[in-house]
Amino acid sequence: MRNFFRSLPMKLYILIAAVLAFSFFSNDFGLVDIQKTAVILAAGIDRTENGFSLTAQIAVPKGSDRTAGGTSSVEIEAEGETVSDCVSLIFSKTGWVPKLVFCDLIVLGEDAVKEDVIAYLNYFLRNDYMPDSCMLAVCEGKAGELISTVSAIDDASSLAISKLFSDAAKKSGKVMPCTLKDFAIGYYGVSESGYLPFIRTERQKGGQNDSLQSAGAGTGTDGEQKIYIAEETALFSKGKMVGLLDRNETLAVSLLKGNVFSGTFNAMDGDKPVTLSVVNNRGKVSLDSRAPSVKLSLSVVVRLCCRGVTAAIDDIASDRVTDDILKSCKETLSGYVGSMWEKLKGSGCDLFFLRRALYRSSPKRYGMWKDDVPFLSPVTVEANVRSMK
Amino acid sequence: MTVSRRQLYFFLACVAPAGKLILLPARLAESAKNDLLLPAAIHLALQAAAVFCALLLCERGETLHDMLAATFGRVAAKIFLTVFSVFLAYAAFLPLLEEKLFVQSVYYDTLPSITSFAPFFLFAAYLAAKPIRALGRVWDILGIVAAIGYAGILILSAGSADYAALAPAGGSGMGILLGVLRTWGWFFDAALLLPLAGHIEAKKGTAWRGALFYLVGSAAVLLFLAVFYGIFQETATNQLFAIAATSKYFSGVSMLGRVDYAFVFLLGLVVLFLSALPVQGCVECLLQAYGREHHLPAFLSVGISAVLLALVLVCDFRFGDVMSVISGTLFWIFPLFSVLVPALCLALRRSHA
Repeated sequence: MRNFFRSLPMKLYILIAAVLAFSFFSNDFGLVDIQKTAVILAAGIDRTENGFSLTAQIAVPKGSDRTAGGTSSVEIEAEGETVSDCVSLIFSKTGWVPKLVFCDLIVLGEDAVKEDVIAYLNYFLRNDYMPDSCMLAVCEGKAGELISTVSAIDDASSLAISKLFSDAAKKSGKVMPCTLKDFAIGYYGVSESGYLPFIRTERQKGGQNDSLQSAGAGTGTDGEQKIYIAEETALFSKGKMVGLLDRNETLAVSLLKGNVFSGTFNAMDGDKPVTLSVVNNRGKVSLDSRAPSVKLSLSVVVRLCCRGVTAAIDDIASDRVTDDILKSCKETLSGYVGSMWEKLKGSGCDLFFLRRALYRSSPKRYGMWKDDVPFLSPVTVEANVRSMK
Repeated sequence: MTVSRRQLYFFLACVAPAGKLILLPARLAESAKNDLLLPAAIHLALQAAAVFCALLLCERGETLHDMLAATFGRVAAKIFLTVFSVFLAYAAFLPLLEEKLFVQSVYYDTLPSITSFAPFFLFAAYLAAKPIRALGRVWDILGIVAAIGYAGILILSAGSADYAALAPAGGSGMGILLGVLRTWGWFFDAALLLPLAGHIEAKKGTAWRGALFYLVGSAAVLLFLAVFYGIFQETATNQLFAIAATSKYFSGVSMLGRVDYAFVFLLGLVVLFLSALPVQGCVECLLQAYGREHHLPAFLSVGISAVLLALVLVCDFRFGDVMSVISGTLFWIFPLFSVLVPALCLALRRSHA
């Protein structure tokens, strides 16, 4: 009996260890079978009469043919009172556990952005398994329809749209991509503003349709093939869409943020159109908040080279940026910046987060000027245009 | 065999700060917003002072029990050590739940079963049954592991932060005070050193050097907090597992996948040992009070770990409630035992005096 009690602690320890080890390994390490998992590539959210409609683009195996490669997808739509409700419904409809860890795109429909969009985005923002680096966008019409279109350039519409938001696209100044995290920071910050790229679809034209289809893009569906354009930018204030910048105004914002490298725009050389490439760009939106008034100035510095000039056959070296072209560029860019700023003023969107900058520099001045800042007119709009030597 | 000074300094500079990099940043941001560095700095300065006091006590080369018995008698020493062991078991609870949530959320891509974290308690029971001097060897290894993990995460994260988000300083007002009060549950490092008295190879000068090394670790914590808030800004409150979140915006991660997890795993390993440390301190206090009978260390370590396991299972979906009780309603327990007690212990007599 004494021996039994002496060895009791070790016996107890081994028993508890065995029970815990059994429970640990009986759970397949808590993982979900991949065959029962819906890998969501993109989500489209629309507003309905009863709440929300969530269209999830789910990646599915393309078949056993290894040479096919690529990604196939199906779109599943669910309607519910909340986004979480919609995700649960997708599980109920398909039996697949929705997995958001690979979701790199959330598209909001045109109706959805008339209300505070954070109601939809909160679910994704608070989901531990959702990457907050996923791209956000608004689209013309319904997001569900956009997600369900057949892309002319890729296997899945979401993959094609994601390409529009690459670093190269951002540097071109034509697109202003925004991640879920950045949008949330803008929304919850003192500026309460943000922006998202606005996507439109176009029917694929030209004779490449067949060759692309044979290469695997968009196969397996009878729908019309689409291409996507995201050169416009939707403006947000307090979570609602309050305006839309066109492609030139979007370029103006990119130039003011100093983002552009190798982006292009058109100007005039006399009566001939010329395309100019930005090889270097600096931009500045500065606020002088010293009392008694607050002053705003905008400045764009670009260094350009000439592209696409119509030159005579004996003048192949005619890529100089002449003074006339520089003057035209200056007028063009000033026009873009001015037009963009008028839209910002009209919308109340603090796109350059001036209120935030004011708050960080001086909470006292922020208290004085916070309501005026989004509606200020710039005292100076400077477009410093130089030619590449 | 005792814990050497080098091993102690490794603990203070590298291991102890690791426990403050998971939930604490979000908790601080919730109260103090962009001023999260201020409450953290107040806590760390207080703890550095308390560490100094605890190490001054260690310099005497006697156990806590011997000094208590010499001053108040054996019965009072037993009562104090029992109460102190209860505090350590209580203090162990929040880091345990924190580590459990961290493991379940970061290492698993879906919510795993409740028992997935249970093997930790096998490990805690094993570690707590070991003599306290074994900690020295553990800290020798963990110090380097923590330094590599921390450096890796910081290198991958620092470039993604907008440090202007920390301005303006002091704008949160009462939020700073709230930040101090609501985060006491993460600051009890000095209390962990008291059971080590008599087991540390401490000489004159160990106390201020120890405090200095603790401040070095504190500076690393503050730097991480600055990077964390610089990255997440107004959404920082949402980022419950800071060490797993900050480095994912590194440009290479989008191409290579979550390579930063290598460093997250290293720090996760350190936090695993750190979470078991209060259990070990708790067992050591009870052993000092009631003697080291044949199987008592094993009984105590298994018993305490089993109780904690049961509590973790019971509170599995009540983390918010547990946190609001421990770091809200009962926050005052931590300054009492981790700041006041080390300071008051300096008044204890030496047993041989």
